[in-house]
Amino acid sequence: MSVAYQVIGKSMPRTDARSKVLGQAQYADDLSLPRMLFVKVLRSPHPHARIRGIKTSAAQKQPGIVAVLTAKDIPGENSIGPIIKDQAILCADLVHYAGDAVALVAGETEQAVEAALERIEVDYEELPALFDPLEALEPGAPVVHEGGNIGTHVKIRRGDIETGFREAAAVVEGRFITPRVEHAYIEPEVALAAVDAQGDVSVWSSTQYTHLDREEVSRMLGLPQSRVRVRQMVTGGGFGGKLNPHAQCYAALVAWKTGRPAKVHYHRDESLIASYKAHPYVIDMKLGANRDGKLSAIDARLVGNTGAYLFQGRAVITKSGTHVSGIYYIPNIKTDAYAVYTNSVPCGAMRGYGVPQVTFALEALIDELAGKLGLDPLELRMRNALDTTLPNATGQVMPASIPVKEMLARAKASVDSMRPLLKEAAPGRKRGIGIGCSSRGIGSIRKASRSTAVVSLHPDGSATVACGHVDLGQGSDTMMAQVAAEELGLDVDRVRVITNDTAVSPDCESTSASRVTYLSGNAVRFAAAKIKTRVLDLAAREFGCAADEVKMRNGAVAHREQGLSLAALFGKHIMHIITEVAENLPATTPPDPETGQGNPAGTYNFNVHVALVEVDEATGKIEPLKYLAMGDVGKMLNPMSVEGQMHGGLMMGMGFALSEEVKIDRGVANSTFGTYLIPTTCDVPREVIVDVIEDPEPTGPFGAKGFAEGSLDPVGATMANAVSNAIGVRVTQLPMTGERVHQLLRRRGDT
Amino acid sequence: MSRPRKIRVVINGQKVEAAVTPNQTLAEFLRYQLALTGTKEGCDTGDCGACTVLLDGKAVNSCLVLAVEVEGRNVTTIEGLSSNGALHPLQQIFIDHGTVQCGFCTPGMILGAKALLDENANPTEEDIRLGLAGNLCRCTGYVNIVKAVGAAAKFLRGGK
Repeated sequence: MSVAYQVIGKSMPRTDARSKVLGQAQYADDLSLPRMLFVKVLRSPHPHARIRGIKTSAAQKQPGIVAVLTAKDIPGENSIGPIIKDQAILCADLVHYAGDAVALVAGETEQAVEAALERIEVDYEELPALFDPLEALEPGAPVVHEGGNIGTHVKIRRGDIETGFREAAAVVEGRFITPRVEHAYIEPEVALAAVDAQGDVSVWSSTQYTHLDREEVSRMLGLPQSRVRVRQMVTGGGFGGKLNPHAQCYAALVAWKTGRPAKVHYHRDESLIASYKAHPYVIDMKLGANRDGKLSAIDARLVGNTGAYLFQGRAVITKSGTHVSGIYYIPNIKTDAYAVYTNSVPCGAMRGYGVPQVTFALEALIDELAGKLGLDPLELRMRNALDTTLPNATGQVMPASIPVKEMLARAKASVDSMRPLLKEAAPGRKRGIGIGCSSRGIGSIRKASRSTAVVSLHPDGSATVACGHVDLGQGSDTMMAQVAAEELGLDVDRVRVITNDTAVSPDCESTSASRVTYLSGNAVRFAAAKIKTRVLDLAAREFGCAADEVKMRNGAVAHREQGLSLAALFGKHIMHIITEVAENLPATTPPDPETGQGNPAGTYNFNVHVALVEVDEATGKIEPLKYLAMGDVGKMLNPMSVEGQMHGGLMMGMGFALSEEVKIDRGVANSTFGTYLIPTTCDVPREVIVDVIEDPEPTGPFGAKGFAEGSLDPVGATMANAVSNAIGVRVTQLPMTGERVHQLLRRRGDT
Repeated sequence: MSRPRKIRVVINGQKVEAAVTPNQTLAEFLRYQLALTGTKEGCDTGDCGACTVLLDGKAVNSCLVLAVEVEGRNVTTIEGLSSNGALHPLQQIFIDHGTVQCGFCTPGMILGAKALLDENANPTEEDIRLGLAGNLCRCTGYVNIVKAVGAAAKFLRGGK
């Protein structure tokens, strides 16, 4: 059944696009306050050390320096973290990675502060440092934190893998290694803080979660949350990386101690050295299938290197474990997923959240298994694809919006069209086709996710939406405006969305986990629908008709020839505004701690990608020639925005596949964009096709569901399968730098 | 501390006289002294292109240019591209093609594209890709940006 919508499903630019092309949009660093101090952080140069003492007096005496602060200056709790609060805001006794914060300097100019940083003397006693995640699991390894190096252990148990492998006609296995990846938002971390005459604290920040900023600042200062107000400024990308409010805490601490506004802005090297990354994984996986090409068992050990702190490690690892079977039904599953500590830069949330890593391993083994069984790789995928009757690794069955088989059929057409091009490779080059498929639960997996929206309709036919899911650039403010406009019969430009202010916008958890459209889209819709019901009831009484006979459009109500403006209708009932609140809490059950079984996500998003690549056999350089990114989004609320996200996710995945790797040499070794290489215009495949599948999700707003991470999930897998197909050697490590591919080619030559 | 030096420069068509320190970059001068915050800083090492401005019509990374170096020269920032709120065609076409997400790279990207089109009114897709290779974007995947610049070239040639 197709419904005629006024706004939903129509492309429109982001509501702030004009201010951005004019250079007028205000990002956090664009804001300055009178008497503002500049703040910089002294960081540990050692990966693991005990702090025996800190001398700050020489730094304090430097010209232009107003304050030098250490752990003892923190009035409240000295701990921080997006989920698990296991990092010190300023380290008191121990540092756990080269980059851990030890002291703050605040002064009149950035130059003065930089000079004073060098005058702080920290007496460190170096301790044995641990970098290798597999060594971390060995007895006798250096211990990062008391209690051992395993931060979390997630188990998935379904059926009996011994039976599953016994029934298998073919079994494949391998070890797969993925890199530590940086979010590389182009805007580095920034926060500004000030204390007002009442002693309340205001923070303006680049953030993915204003309410977490507020929680951490209030805990640090020992203030009630009601006395801290956080406003997100226009944010220059997040991708999961702006969920730990260090800069906010540093700025707030200085403002609190000095009474003067204070700003922290990281330069790129500091951002790369200190900020958390995506977990690198070592994955051992074994997969079996029976004679009919039905998958029978999977056994996997996933080791995620969480670095110095766990942060969100438990949640990331849980996401990986629960997604170990991808888009397939596998009756027998055993997975042990670990987050292990090392003395390297901490890892946490990043777009993908553990799924791209496990997808890379699984999809490689699917191809290997197809080879062993003599089946076409797409045919093997088709035979095992989930549908509305089959459970995933958590035992969850998705009753609707699971168009995997249709997507695979479309992929087949794409592969068929690419196949003739394989022969056109230039001399010295080899071409290959790869397929990658992924599944993603929307929202948090370890617990339920709730969103709250407050919608107000004003008598002039405009509306305000307050909801705490901030926009990082992906377009969610525009989405919420569209949803409210559709429901209330208004033009989008009559709806103002305020997501960025803790004083106005209710806490909806972070903007992450591809959750905003699915959760907040419906929270906004439900609140707007309540308003509409009230307005229609009032109007029906005026017109003497049934509520469903009243039309509400452009700030007026009408029934046949009768019409009233909202102002007139409100006036008759002594109303100045109609405000409604709605919550959206999809029904989920978290995974059981012993078996991983549950119904952890309200809905799932599926992606199927196909790539045609060409590999230069002399240099190992990979060129993606054609790329098909197919994503299932339920229903497109704003096609321009959907397409933009899918392109963006694809290219972020291309970085994961081909070039991005944070290297550790005591600390982060590649701390510039000249050495940490994200894709440029020249890395875009020559031909990119974004294909959106719409199979409405009944529990989503107008049938929509999340997809922002999904567009990234299968890229590494797809590219690795294409390159393996081209060169005839299995790729087991990302990124596929020229050097690594060259080594694979040499290995092929040796055998 | 290094002593400030006076410079005279034309910024967005306006004559500006200001005292700058010898080690101050053009990006810092624009952002923090003149409050022209449309110029963004993403890396300070000339790798990301967010701080791209036009110096005598050529695209430069303003984080790699010292403020003292622009004495007597012409600087155009994103604030100088529109006139009285009327968007430059590149700005409108960037909006229409859905190239704007977080927007942090957008000012630099638009000015980079302007310099490219001023030099080559009829660029191939390859020319556009090469011309903008120094402007990093993490949100959009570039495809629509490259298309937008091609469309802008066509529009500016009078092709609509």
